[in-house]
Amino acid sequence: MTSLARWAAVARRELSSALRRPSYWFLLGVLGLTAFGFSQGNVTISSGEATAGGLRSHITSAAAQSMYQSVLITAMGVWFLAIGAGLVLIRDAELRVGEIVHGTRLTAREYVWGSFAGAVAAFGIIWGLNLGLSAGFNHVLATGADTPHIGPFVPGNYLIPALLFGLPQILFFAGVPFFLGAWTRRPIVVFAFPVAMVLLILGFLVTWSPSWLDPAINRALILADPSGFRWLNETFLKLDRGVDFYNTAPLPPDMGFLLSRIGLAGIGLLAVEAAARNTARRLLEGDTDSVVIGFRRGGGETTRPTGTPEPPATAGGTLRELGMRTVPPGFFAAVHAIARTEVRELLVRPWLYLFVPLIVWQSVSASLLALGPFDSPLLVTSGAMAAGQFNTLSLLVCILLLFYTVESLMKERTQRLAEIYRATPVGTGAMLLGKTVGNVAVAGVILGAALIASWAIITARHLFGNPVGFDLWPFAAAWGGVMVLTFVFWTAFVTAAFALFRNRYAVYGLGLAVVIYTVYRMTVAQFQVDEALSWVTNWLAWNAMAAWSDMGAFSLHGHALLLNRLLYLSLVPLLLVLAVRWFGRQEFDATRILYRLRPRALLRSGLRLLPFAVPPAVLASMLFFGGRAGYEGPDADEAAKDYWRRNVATWTDFRMPSVSHVDLDVDLEPPVRTASVSGAYTFVNHRDHAYPELPITARPAAPIEWTLDGEPHEPDERAGLFVFTPEEPLAPGGSLTVGFRYDLQHPRGLSTRVGGRREFILDPGVVLTGFSPTFVPVPGYLPGIGVDRDNRYDQREYPDDFYEGETEPALGWGGQPLTTRIRITAPEEYTANSVGRLVSEEVRDGRRTVVWESDQPVRLFNIVAGRYAVKEGRGTAIYYHPEHDYNIEEMSAALDAARVHYSEWFHPFPWELLKLSEFPAYAGYAQGFPTNITFSEGIGFLTKSDPRAHAAFAIVAHEAAHQWWGNILTPGRGPGGNILSEGMAHYATILLHEEVHGDRHRIEFTKRIEDGYGDARFVDSERPLVKTDGSRRGDATVTYDKGGWVMWMLQQEMGRENILGGLRAFIDAYHASSDFPVIQDMLAVLRDFAPDPEAFDAFTAQWFFAVVVPEYRLTGVTKERAGRGWTVRGTVENPGTGRMTVAVAATANERWSDVGNAGTRTVVSPSYRDARTRVELGASESAEFEIVTTFDPERVLVDPDVLVLQLRREAAVFDFPE
Amino acid sequence: MLEIRNLVKVYPGPVAALQGVSLEASRGMLGLLGPNGAGKTTLMRIVAGLLEPTSGAVLLDGEDVTGDPRRIRRQLGYLPQSFGFYPHLTGAAMLRFLLVLKGVQAPRGLKHLAAELLERVNLQDAAKRKVGTYSGGMRQRLGIAQALAGNPRIVVVDEPTAGLDPEERLRFYRLLAEMAEDRLVLLSTHIVEDIAVLCPRVAVLSGGQVLADTAPGDARARLEGTIFEGAVAKEGLAEMERRFLVTQAVLIEGRNRVRVHVRDGRPPPGFEPIPPSLEDAYLLLIRNQASKNGQPAPAAAERAES
Repeated sequence: MTSLARWAAVARRELSSALRRPSYWFLLGVLGLTAFGFSQGNVTISSGEATAGGLRSHITSAAAQSMYQSVLITAMGVWFLAIGAGLVLIRDAELRVGEIVHGTRLTAREYVWGSFAGAVAAFGIIWGLNLGLSAGFNHVLATGADTPHIGPFVPGNYLIPALLFGLPQILFFAGVPFFLGAWTRRPIVVFAFPVAMVLLILGFLVTWSPSWLDPAINRALILADPSGFRWLNETFLKLDRGVDFYNTAPLPPDMGFLLSRIGLAGIGLLAVEAAARNTARRLLEGDTDSVVIGFRRGGGETTRPTGTPEPPATAGGTLRELGMRTVPPGFFAAVHAIARTEVRELLVRPWLYLFVPLIVWQSVSASLLALGPFDSPLLVTSGAMAAGQFNTLSLLVCILLLFYTVESLMKERTQRLAEIYRATPVGTGAMLLGKTVGNVAVAGVILGAALIASWAIITARHLFGNPVGFDLWPFAAAWGGVMVLTFVFWTAFVTAAFALFRNRYAVYGLGLAVVIYTVYRMTVAQFQVDEALSWVTNWLAWNAMAAWSDMGAFSLHGHALLLNRLLYLSLVPLLLVLAVRWFGRQEFDATRILYRLRPRALLRSGLRLLPFAVPPAVLASMLFFGGRAGYEGPDADEAAKDYWRRNVATWTDFRMPSVSHVDLDVDLEPPVRTASVSGAYTFVNHRDHAYPELPITARPAAPIEWTLDGEPHEPDERAGLFVFTPEEPLAPGGSLTVGFRYDLQHPRGLSTRVGGRREFILDPGVVLTGFSPTFVPVPGYLPGIGVDRDNRYDQREYPDDFYEGETEPALGWGGQPLTTRIRITAPEEYTANSVGRLVSEEVRDGRRTVVWESDQPVRLFNIVAGRYAVKEGRGTAIYYHPEHDYNIEEMSAALDAARVHYSEWFHPFPWELLKLSEFPAYAGYAQGFPTNITFSEGIGFLTKSDPRAHAAFAIVAHEAAHQWWGNILTPGRGPGGNILSEGMAHYATILLHEEVHGDRHRIEFTKRIEDGYGDARFVDSERPLVKTDGSRRGDATVTYDKGGWVMWMLQQEMGRENILGGLRAFIDAYHASSDFPVIQDMLAVLRDFAPDPEAFDAFTAQWFFAVVVPEYRLTGVTKERAGRGWTVRGTVENPGTGRMTVAVAATANERWSDVGNAGTRTVVSPSYRDARTRVELGASESAEFEIVTTFDPERVLVDPDVLVLQLRREAAVFDFPE
Repeated sequence: MLEIRNLVKVYPGPVAALQGVSLEASRGMLGLLGPNGAGKTTLMRIVAGLLEPTSGAVLLDGEDVTGDPRRIRRQLGYLPQSFGFYPHLTGAAMLRFLLVLKGVQAPRGLKHLAAELLERVNLQDAAKRKVGTYSGGMRQRLGIAQALAGNPRIVVVDEPTAGLDPEERLRFYRLLAEMAEDRLVLLSTHIVEDIAVLCPRVAVLSGGQVLADTAPGDARARLEGTIFEGAVAKEGLAEMERRFLVTQAVLIEGRNRVRVHVRDGRPPPGFEPIPPSLEDAYLLLIRNQASKNGQPAPAAAERAES
């Protein structure tokens, strides 16, 4: 037999063995389901702005297949590859084939390479079948008119990504663990590899890309990423090039990337060669058994060292003298002994000390690297850290427990102790529970290490000036109270699965499939909330801490979470009982198994299990039916759908009369989520026609007592829309009063799944708005209620001149401004804020009653309450959770500055007091109601100011700006209307940054929102600002970021004083008008203030009425000495769109001094030098430039002052080599 | 009282490992002797509650324990044929762990008991070494220590002397003999010498059946006057085997010392009568059974001595 034939024989044997493993078929099943989901358009991968799957992008394109293969091999394949290849030689050791195999002519190299080839070929076959299934599903099953996501069949779209992304990963992910297995002979080391890879790649290399990252570091990370996804993302996907590009482009690899892929494959193959050499070397040293085969002669033990004498024989006494006796071993004594031995065994293994730092590092770093709004660093509070690590720790520890539990259950078999162990009289239950406890202790070690690391980080930061100190409670609650139960359940589940299958590969396959499916569902749920696992099935409690609040950790989901945890805890005894029954301590006889499967025997077994099955069944029913009846359940959905069904045709375009006054009395009981609400609305008919009917939407889910002009009234109810029919139609200029009274629970009942909540009455705080018919009756029909995927309709198309004549307001209840008198009663410790000014406050019988009246008319109202501390400023106040005082000074300064400067720039602030109140982070937004801003704890109170991002300042500035842009000036309903609210608020924020902190901070903020626009825009769906109506993907960033930026550029075009003068005139013209303005109205006013109307028209034509974005590149940049100075030459081109004049600068030294750090004004570094020129470039144009400097330039960059919106600004920089 | 009643065990294949084995024993040492594949280990594992029989029963004091092996485990000391230990534990820790699992108690505590047991098997100096560093013989002795622990009513030992040097083997014989004074010891082996030294009673298994259940002395007595021994040249052995029933052929200094069984009192020339051994009886029984089943008769036991 030739060497090749021997190699092939080994490979065939390994291939045959591998393909019989259930784990690969589990993998194929999961991959097949995923491929089917892709083909149906149900499963999508999104990156940046390009979407694979969905409605228009082709899942069959090279881009989509590249994403598919790079991500799936990293997320799923790595586990199966590492286990499949890494355990080959270890398994041979356990099966004791080594001595026989190596007694033949087989060489170590033939054996090692043959085994590796077989293992890789097995995965290759599975992967090939998967690609075949994908192609089949896509091009055979999913054809027809309803498959816009399927493109033409191009074999290269599947094969080239397989070669470029798949093959190198396969060789790397198989080769390295193969070497680790051969070298160490420890399964646990093999398992460490995929854990490390997934953490590194998915937790860092693929995802960590802050906008301020140095391009050189980014390039290094691209080349280091084994998945190749970072290259794909950074090179092709991040900057959206449009669906057409992704559907047809071949995505050629650049040389660097190609070499990195070859290098990756080479590392995998070198690892195999290293394994072969290691094996051969050990063979030469005569250590055949211990090294190659993985076990030592005599069952895992070394022979006695040469020269060590046998212990001398001693006579000893008789056995009888020992006085031994046997009693049935105690259950807990046995559990203790087994658990202790398991822990001792684990603690002496060095690999635990590899896993623990790995997991702790990933967990802690993910929490530390988390970014807040505008890529700002987050203040690491104990709560944020405990909650931030929750998902990562839960997932990683569960994966680790899967490996440890299986290997622990395999241990007696592999170490050949099983016969002795199982013949002992200790109960199987104690045996399994002892192992469970021992393995869960591993989880305890990891949690302990993560806790210590968290403590050390928080404490160290605290010592160096960070205001946040360590608090144990969040860790105890989130980890000890919630996460540990997951580990107990999971270990019991794995134990039961092992008892059933008695095959490590089957259990790995099942366990990984469960984990991957769970994480997949919960990840998809970030985009489609109803994809989230319900509380009944969310065994991992994934995202259970996403709604963490320092103000009250478990108030929102507490009941559901408690039932969920009890459910999975109650499953533990059932699983252990099943495990005991299936464990096979006594090898079953095949004939008798058939006997046991008779119906009567099965029934008898089932009845015996009943006591264990009843508690989980009861708890699951409570969760299921409680959720159905709750605010997120199908009953609520059906009621909403019924509202839509019965009213959409009748009331959609109905224009209501104005509400001139709101009188509201709200009696709050936050600890029990309830309120009693009563009040009255005064309607005034400001239109020129009479109203025979008045529709009002109210959905408090409790009976409402209505009055009409003070008399009891029973309106016609149409599924939540109450239609009032006054005796006489409401004539023009006439008025009537509608009164109401009801009790409210908000939210009502159990939630069905994890998720946030925008409005609530909960113990830590209360947020209620006049938008919500669950809280107060809302005049008219609300078109958003009851609309979901089934009945979503296209956004209305507005004609170009839609704004001519009177336009309805985009915000509020419509009609004229109103006055409010809102009386709020709550427990004494609560502070309750609403719009206007506080006119009275009294405390009686432990309850505080406050009355708020609007000192000037408003269009919206809200209530926010909590146990607050207060920071008062100049006509401003911030109400905050007493422990969240970290950014209060900065926020208060921002609010004060906003009030002063916005009043100066835009319009005098008409109200007495401007308040800002914190609410628990059950939602992460802020809303600028008149005089009463609500602000989530998660978006500014817990951010850390940094020279690159001042989130606290920026968000306060933005929300404060809504007092002017949204309230004083209410935009009109229609395309572009919301830009007058959100875009203008961003513009105001830019101005306030510059005014308060100077250029550096303004530049950084404009860069942040420019990056936000570059990352989040969808080039195919983007429309001009005047057409942006919020209905398309990417409209949010256009409305906020581009809207603000374009106004900033318009300021450069018009001049600061001209534009501010124009804006003041605009507000004056419209703030009291019944015609609510949109962009066109604003531009019409501003044009009168433009010094060069033609230039103004040219600017607005491209930036407001078209979609353009420049993108600048520098090429051929040189510098040469010229006398005592230097001359810099080069070419700048614009491969993007739009025509703008832009500065090009040659600079030396850092521009900003670190003296001007967070919270202070910009300080320009004394050593900084620059010299500039300007170029005007249209789309695809280029221009040469020359800059003469008096200093040695180090860098050339386009638009140094960040005055022109552009894509990939970081690429418009050239650094001269040192 | 242990009663094995008509045990049948069929492995998937199918392979009938046991074909209706019945035995009874109450006290003392019962040797199970048989060639490889005879079903000894299968029988031992069923008795130890580790393997479910296809049919039949193992009765302990009249109660069938095959359906509930916990009952026998409480009274069992078991040493399997092949076993290992947790390599990271010391010998003393490993033994203590097993003592806890077996529910063993001792007046001076388990730590002391473990030390005493290790001394009995001559491992006292290796008590603090990790089991992973033990030689095969040391590991075997640790296995013996755990099997003897706890004063079990039934001790099941499967090929216990494999890997032991002569000195340790003798030490083990003494321990087993002591154990057998007041309890039942089931000793499975294919080493006839073990049985001959230790067992007042032996059951011979072959092909899953009990061929004989007797005392070694009786077995020898039945052959009295029929065993002769003489020297045969190497090239003459085949002819000798054709003409006579050769029980053993030992190669000594290039010549065969051959033992033959002669029923008619006419041995080969130069052969002298000698006392029969248990090995003679066992080998004759096995060969006789093979010929009854129409299988080729096993060759005479051959070995070389220097």
